[in-house]
Amino acid sequence: MSTLAPLPVVIPLSVAAILSALNKFVGRRLSEALAILTTIATGLICGELLLQARVQPVIHWFGGWTPRAGVALGISFVIDPIGAGAAVFTSLLVLAALIFSLHYFDTVGTLFHVLMLGFLGAMCGFALTGDLFNLFVFFELMSASAFALCGYKVEEPESMQGALNFGITNTVGAFLVLSGIGLLYGRTGALNMAQIGRTLGGNLDGLVITAFVFIMAGFFVKAAVFPFHFWLADAHAVAPTPVCVLFSGIMVELGIYAVLRVYWVIFDGPFAAHRWDVRALLLAVGSITAVVGAVMCFGQRHIKRLLAFSTVSHVGLLTIGFGVLKEDALAGVALYVLGHGLVKAALFLVAGLLLHRFSSVDELELHGRACRMHATGVVFFAAALGLASMPGFATFLGESGIIDGAKGIGQGWVRAVFVISGMLTAGAVLRVWGRVFRGMGKADDAETASAKKIDEGRETKAASHGIPAAMFAPAAGLVLLAIAIGLTPGVKRAVRTAAIVMQDRTGYQARVLEHAWISVTPAEEEHTPIGKGLAWSFGTTAAALALAFLSLSPYWPTKHVLVRPVAKTVHLLRAIHSGHVGDYVAFLTFGVAAFGVVLAVLIHLR
Amino acid sequence: MKRRGRMIFFLLSAAVFAGVYLWGLKGLPAVGHYRGPYGDVLNQVATYERHVTDIVTAVNFDYRGFDTLGEEFILFMSVVGGTVLLRRQREEEKSEHKDQALSDESPERQAPEPSDATRVLTLGLVGPLVVFGLYIVAHGQLTPGGGFQGGVILATAPLLVYLAGDLKKFKQITSHTLVEVAEAAGAGAYLAIGFAGLILGGAYLRNVAALGKTGMINSGGTIALINLATGLEVAAGFVLLLYAFLEQTLEIRLRGGK
Repeated sequence: MSTLAPLPVVIPLSVAAILSALNKFVGRRLSEALAILTTIATGLICGELLLQARVQPVIHWFGGWTPRAGVALGISFVIDPIGAGAAVFTSLLVLAALIFSLHYFDTVGTLFHVLMLGFLGAMCGFALTGDLFNLFVFFELMSASAFALCGYKVEEPESMQGALNFGITNTVGAFLVLSGIGLLYGRTGALNMAQIGRTLGGNLDGLVITAFVFIMAGFFVKAAVFPFHFWLADAHAVAPTPVCVLFSGIMVELGIYAVLRVYWVIFDGPFAAHRWDVRALLLAVGSITAVVGAVMCFGQRHIKRLLAFSTVSHVGLLTIGFGVLKEDALAGVALYVLGHGLVKAALFLVAGLLLHRFSSVDELELHGRACRMHATGVVFFAAALGLASMPGFATFLGESGIIDGAKGIGQGWVRAVFVISGMLTAGAVLRVWGRVFRGMGKADDAETASAKKIDEGRETKAASHGIPAAMFAPAAGLVLLAIAIGLTPGVKRAVRTAAIVMQDRTGYQARVLEHAWISVTPAEEEHTPIGKGLAWSFGTTAAALALAFLSLSPYWPTKHVLVRPVAKTVHLLRAIHSGHVGDYVAFLTFGVAAFGVVLAVLIHLR
Repeated sequence: MKRRGRMIFFLLSAAVFAGVYLWGLKGLPAVGHYRGPYGDVLNQVATYERHVTDIVTAVNFDYRGFDTLGEEFILFMSVVGGTVLLRRQREEEKSEHKDQALSDESPERQAPEPSDATRVLTLGLVGPLVVFGLYIVAHGQLTPGGGFQGGVILATAPLLVYLAGDLKKFKQITSHTLVEVAEAAGAGAYLAIGFAGLILGGAYLRNVAALGKTGMINSGGTIALINLATGLEVAAGFVLLLYAFLEQTLEIRLRGGK
């Protein structure tokens, strides 16, 4: 049994407790130093766990309660490479956020670091646990810290509003997850995921379908999948920049991770004969999410809101990758999470830099004002290309993995969704780049001007001259890392091996419940030629660039007959994103009901 | 959406949602036909292995003690979050009230003095409640109760002092720094007990304390210790939240009472 396994959770929590006790006695610098050192230590431990997990999934039974005759009495951490990788990535992003906030925020106090460390510990626990109820506990712990972090800038009323929308919708999501867990416990008498999976076997009935729908929908609220995604833009628009980095970079993706884990350990058995029904639902939902997010993204002028909608779109792509239910697509999802998280975090950090420097994140207000920030502009531009999955970035590896998987089951059409999403989201970000960093276009663009303008309060005291290295370095570092991962040979193969382990249900059960040594077969060498994929991805990038330049040029058609239906649809979409939490909960309820009915009908038709 | 449209949309969705939920509930075993091995196994072994008579506490603080650690930290983070979210508003209020100080001190703005009956009853209850709270915290391994329940009971004592109108005493017993340290110490003690298990026994939260004689107050090993830690954390956490919410009112009233 590994003694390292509990540390990524309990070390950050311990330091959080100590910092909170010393709240009145430690200065800002000391508490920053402690938080950063703790995050580095956590990341290193997770890294070591990742190395160990590549040989065999690492198990830790809390309290020493190992299972008896296949019955789990206690709680286990089950750390496979994908879970450990998620924890490493979490630590990395928290580190970047903490370094960035060294110069940020005048109101940063010790309690900010307490919340950040609690958030870190919760996300690590979420990624490492092998127990369904424990997963829920960390879901809640993550939420408790995230709500407060989201509303941290209490001086603005919008901040409270955004945090409230986030809090209410996510609490409904938690209720759904808990109800699903209750159903499963009533059936199996178990909370350990491996044991639930083994007890359920291949039996599928109303209870199992409902439990799957509830748990999936609950985690999809966190993951911001349509129609559960509404809270995300509101929360991102108001949250402090370092917090946005964590929300978009990893918290949302952990929602997808949880559904993946639960599906492959528990539900793949019962749904084995109905994989196509699950696929139909997920591919449809993923495609809708990707397109809705992309369209909304292109129509924003508030840069943080724009980036938030781009996250929605990319989560749609991840949902498609999950919905393929194949190991190469699963590996693609893991790589895409990495690549997207890195470039999206960098984009948010640059947005934070702009806010720091010019006290605004409004695209039109910032027109041409950052022309002299050359290095920052380059980082922003490069990150935008990464968002379009340009070859060379980790996102490209992820995209090609997902699309290869989709082709393998005859669903090559999902390529179209990737092109639309990449074109619109990257196009929107490149448009911002052109307007803000190059001074292109006009400052009073009628198209974008119709979007809601939100005044973003300052996060720092005075817009200083020059850019502090602590704010620029994390953004640049993250983009470079996205490229480095994208260019490292063998990454894809290693992640595919990890994906095979994650999908091996019986192996997982034997490892957890009997402590068996399971065989880890390395994935085969990549054979598929990627020439075609390269062309498509370069094409998407070029299209995004063209779209950005066109939208900045005088030739952008705003009144043309052909454009009117598009404008109408966009208008309708905007109306749906009303900011009214009652609407959000109504859509959430609708989504759960629809998931349940669609799945039930599909399964009964076969 | 308009109010009406939203209601219709929600109610229709909720009806279908309820149908799906009922469909799922139909698959549960009938009342009294518990299927799982978990409860049966624990009912047989817990008293023997942990020397406790309350199996629920054994599950919460030992077999699944790590969940409870997480739950304790949910409370901890919520309290920190609450303090953070109420922070600035307080400063703003203070400066505002300086301008309104005069009107605050005018007699009609002051809260009425609590009656003698209220005072006697509430202050009289403080002592018994503290004893009762401590009892519930300390007997978690024997009877229903434990750190969470007892902690909440303990936290009501300062609230009663406040209700009795004894504001100076309330401020004294809820010294912000002290309560903050107490809360963190309670949370930290839980973690520390876990570390002791990891270092001495190789598993986080493994019992490393003497189990004692079943039925006695010192039985249960770490279960009893963790209950004490949780009691401290929960009581202090609730007081902190109370404090944050009451502080504005206190500011005004204290000035008025001068």
